[in-house]
Amino acid sequence: MMRALRFTIATAFLIAVPWIVAATVPGQQRYVLHVLIFTALYGALALSYDLVVGHVGSLSLAHPAFFGIGAYTAALLATEARWPFAAALPAGIAMAGLVALAVGVPMFRLTEHSFAMGTLGFALVAQIVATNWVDFTRGPLCVTGIPKPQLGSLRIATLPGFYWTGLAAVGLVGLLYHGLTTFRLGRAFHAVRDNETLASAASIDPLKYRMLAFVIGGAVAGGVGTLYVSYVGVLCPGELAVSLSVNLLVMLFLGGVGSLRGVLVGSVAFTALPEILRMAPTWRMVIYGLLLLIIVIRAPDGFEGVIRRRSRA
Amino acid sequence: MSDLLEQLLHGLTLGSLYAMVATGLALMFGVVRLINFAHGEFYMLGGYAFWYAYAELGLPYPVAGLAAAAAMGVFGLAYERGVIRTILARTWHVQLIATLATSITLTNLAILVFGTQPKEVPTTLSSTIVDLGGVRMAWQRPLVLVAAVIIFAGLEWFVTRAKLGKAMRAMSQNREACAVVGVDVQRVALATFGLSAALAGGAAALVSPLFNIFPDVGALLTLKAFAAVIVGGFGYVKGAIAAAFLIGLAESLAAGYVSYAYKDAIAFVFMVAVLLVRPQGLFGRRIGI
Amino acid sequence: MVVTRRSTIGIAVVLALALGGERPGVEAQSASPIKVGFASAMTGPSAITGEGVKWAAQMLADEYNAKGGIMGRKIEISFGDNAGTPGEAVSAVRKLADVDRVDVIIGQTHSGACLGALPVVKELQVPMVIEACSNPKIRELIGKPVNEWAFRVNPDDVMLANQFAKHMSQSTKSVSIFAQNDDFGRGAAAAYDVAFKKYGIRLVSTEFFDRGQPDYRPVLTRVKRANPEAVLLVMLASEGSVFMRQFREIGLTQKLFARGSMATVEFLHQVRDNPSIADGLVEATYWTPALDPAWEKQWLDRWKVPVRVHGSLAAIAWRYAVAPAIEQAIKKTGRADRKSIRDALEELDVANTPVGRIRFDDTHQAFINMLLVEIRGGQLKILEKIAIQP
Repeated sequence: MMRALRFTIATAFLIAVPWIVAATVPGQQRYVLHVLIFTALYGALALSYDLVVGHVGSLSLAHPAFFGIGAYTAALLATEARWPFAAALPAGIAMAGLVALAVGVPMFRLTEHSFAMGTLGFALVAQIVATNWVDFTRGPLCVTGIPKPQLGSLRIATLPGFYWTGLAAVGLVGLLYHGLTTFRLGRAFHAVRDNETLASAASIDPLKYRMLAFVIGGAVAGGVGTLYVSYVGVLCPGELAVSLSVNLLVMLFLGGVGSLRGVLVGSVAFTALPEILRMAPTWRMVIYGLLLLIIVIRAPDGFEGVIRRRSRA
Repeated sequence: MSDLLEQLLHGLTLGSLYAMVATGLALMFGVVRLINFAHGEFYMLGGYAFWYAYAELGLPYPVAGLAAAAAMGVFGLAYERGVIRTILARTWHVQLIATLATSITLTNLAILVFGTQPKEVPTTLSSTIVDLGGVRMAWQRPLVLVAAVIIFAGLEWFVTRAKLGKAMRAMSQNREACAVVGVDVQRVALATFGLSAALAGGAAALVSPLFNIFPDVGALLTLKAFAAVIVGGFGYVKGAIAAAFLIGLAESLAAGYVSYAYKDAIAFVFMVAVLLVRPQGLFGRRIGI
Repeated sequence: MVVTRRSTIGIAVVLALALGGERPGVEAQSASPIKVGFASAMTGPSAITGEGVKWAAQMLADEYNAKGGIMGRKIEISFGDNAGTPGEAVSAVRKLADVDRVDVIIGQTHSGACLGALPVVKELQVPMVIEACSNPKIRELIGKPVNEWAFRVNPDDVMLANQFAKHMSQSTKSVSIFAQNDDFGRGAAAAYDVAFKKYGIRLVSTEFFDRGQPDYRPVLTRVKRANPEAVLLVMLASEGSVFMRQFREIGLTQKLFARGSMATVEFLHQVRDNPSIADGLVEATYWTPALDPAWEKQWLDRWKVPVRVHGSLAAIAWRYAVAPAIEQAIKKTGRADRKSIRDALEELDVANTPVGRIRFDDTHQAFINMLLVEIRGGQLKILEKIAIQP
C-alpha cells in the first residue's frame, strides 16, 4: 500500500516537472527541460543496455550500432518516404531488433573477450558504413529536416511535450525491464549470467536467453534512437561513435549494474551532474575515467551497492 | 608490378607497427590473462616521450628512442603496481572496464597536457628517401621492419633463455604450477607489464617519425592490435605477430586496390570473420606465449 | 506663456530631471556587460578546432575590453561545447542562451552542429553568426523567411568552386581530389565535381580519408597509377603536413591545389624541417595572416604557437560582423539585446574590412572575398583577391 502510494506520488511529481521547473527556475526552464529530455532518453538507453550487460552478463559493445540503426531507419523513412512517426518508430525498433537477431546468432558463439571484441568490431563497421555509404545515409553531410512527431492531431513539438514523451519512454522501458528481470524469466537470465554451466544443466538454454536480452535490448535502443532524432531533427554518423558504449558503461557502473534504480541514478548523474557542476569538458572526461576506474575496482555495484550496504548495516 | 611491390612493402611497415603493439597485448594476455584496453595509450605516451626526448631535449635519435622505451617501461611497472594488481583476481568484465577507464583518463589527460595539435617528429631517416627497385620510401620504413624483426628475435631469446623470460612463458602455460614451484608470480606479472609498455614505447619511437603523435592515436591502434591478437589466437605471441602482418598487408592491399575509405572496415570484418569461423585463432589453440 | 509659480516649479522640475536625474534603466544598461557566446567542438575528435576558437575569443575579449568595450560596455564571453555533433549543439546553444544569457552566439564550426543549432536559435530568438560551417544546405536553412536569427559569414564550396575551378583550369586538365571524410570534405568534393565539368577539367578520382589516419601511402599509390596532372587537397594543416611528407616520399610531383588550411602558418610550422615541401601549392581560402599581421603577432605572443585558422575565422565573425552590429545596435536603440543585435546584423554594411565587404543578403549570407594563397619558398603569398558573386 505504502509502496503504491509512494509510486503514485513519484509519478505525479515527475509528470508535473514542467510546471515545477517553470515555477522554481523560470529563466532556465527550457534548458532544464532539455537536460531532462536527454536524461530520460539516456536512461532508457542505459536500461536497455543493462539488460544485456547486467542481467545476462554479456559485455556487448554493439549498442551504439543499434541506437544508430533505429535512428537512421526512422530518419530516412521520415525524410525520404514521408512515413509518419507512428510508423517510423516501430520501423526503427523492428530494424534494430532484426539486426540484433542477425548479429547475435554468430556473436554468441564467441566467449567473453571474443564476444566483446566481436561486438566492438560490428559497432565499428556500422559507423564506417554510416559514414561512407553516402548515397544512402548522406554520410557526414547528415540527414536533415527530420520532422517532429505527429500522432494524429497531436504534435510533439514543445519541450514539455518531448519531456513527457521521454518520461513515457523511460517509464515504459523501466516497466519492460522490471518485467523481464523479475519472476522466472529474470531468474533464468541471472542463472545464465552467474553460472552458465549450471544453467545448461538445469535445461536453461544460455543462448536462447542471451539472444532474448540482446534482441530486446537492441530493439529498445533502436526505439530510443528514433525518439532522439525526432527531438534533435538532424542525424550525423558521429552519433554511432563507439564512445557511446563508454558513456553507457559509466552510467551503469556508477549507478549500479543490474539494478533498475541504480542504472537510472547513473544516467541522471552522468547527464545532469556535469551541467550542474559546469566543469570544463575535457576535465569532465578525466574525472569520469577516474571515477569509473575507482568504482569498478572498489565499488563495482556502484551507487546502488553503497545504498544497499548502508541499509543493511 | 612495382605498384604491387609498393603496396606490399608498405603493408610490411604497417604490419610491423601492429605487430609490435600486438605483441605487448598478447604478452599481457598470455602471462596474466588480462585484456588491456589502455595499451594504445602506452603507444601514445611513448610517442610523446619520444617527442620530448628527441625534439625538446635534442637527444640523438637512438638515445631518444631508447629513452622513450625505458620511460614507458617504468610507466608500465607503475601501471601494473597501481591498477592492474588490484584487478588481476577480478572478473574479465572488471578488467575490461578498468582498463577502458584508464584509457579514457590517459587520453584526456594527454589533451590537457600536450594540447590537441599533433606533434611531428621527422628524423633524418624519415626525411631521406631510398629507391628500392622502383619503389621510393624513406629509410625509416626499412628501419621499422628491421627493428621489429630484431625485437621479435630478442623476445624469443628472452623467453627461451633468460630466467625471467622463461618464467613468463611458464606462467602463460600454467600459472598454478608456477606458483607451486616457487616462481614469484607477482614479480613476473610486473615484469610483463614493463616489457609490454616498453615495446609500445619503442614502437612509437620507430613509427612516429613517419606519422605524427596526438592524444587519440592509440584508439584505433588498440583495436587493430586486438584484431591481431584475436586472429593469432589469444595469448599466442607468434600468432599475434603473424596475424598483425597479415592485417597490415590486407589493409594496405585493400586500401590500394579496393577502397581507401572502407579499409578499416576490412580489417574489422576480417577479425570478426576469423572469430566466427575459427574462434581459436588462425593457428589453433596454442598454450602459452 | 504666463509665468506662474506652478509653471516655474514645473519647468524647474523638468530641467532638473533632464540635466541631473538619470533614468535608472539607462544607467543599468550602460553598465551591464555584453554577453557573447562561442560554440565549437571543445571535446571529441575535432577538439583542436574548439581550442582555436576558445583562444581567439579570449584574446578578442581582452583586446576589446582594454579599449573600454563596445560603446563603454564590457564584453563577457561564455563557451559552449558542441562536440561536433547536432545533439550536443542543441545543449550548447540552450546553455549559452538560457544559463549564460548571451546576447549573441558565434559558432558552431562544424556543419552537423550548425544544423542541430539552427532550429534552437530560432526558437530561443538568439542571433547566431556562423563562422565556418561549410555544408551547402545551410544556405537553404538560414535567412528570410526560414530562420531570421541565423547568419553566415563564411562561404561554402558551392560558392567558391566556380571561381577556383576556373583558376585551376588555366593550368591543368585533370585532377584527383583528396578530401577529409567529413562534411567539409564531402561537400567540397561534390561541389568541385560539378564545377570541374563546367570548366572542362577531368575528375580522375576522388579519395576520402578519415582524420587521424596518418597513413596515406596506399591511396597515394593509387593516385600515382591514375596519374592526374594536379591534385586538389581538401584537408587541414594537421593532416596536410603528414600527407605532404608521404606525397614527396612516394615521389609525386603533381600540381597542388587546396581547400582547408594548407597554405597557412600552421602548416608551415609543422613542416619547418622542410619548408619548401609544398612549394607551388595554391589554396582557395578567405583568410590568411597577411590580412591582419597584428592579430598573428598577438596570437604568437600569447599562445606561443602559430596562429590557428579556426580561431581566426571566429575572429573574423566577431570583428567584422558581430562587434560592428553591437555598436550599431547600441547607437540606434541604446540596447545590445538579442533582437537589436539581430536587426543590426540585418542592416549591417561594413565596406572595407580586410576580408571584403560584410553585408548579409536576404538569405543572411555574407559574400567576403575569396583569396588565392600560394606557398612559395616556404612563405605565403596572396596571388589574387576575387569577389564572390551572390
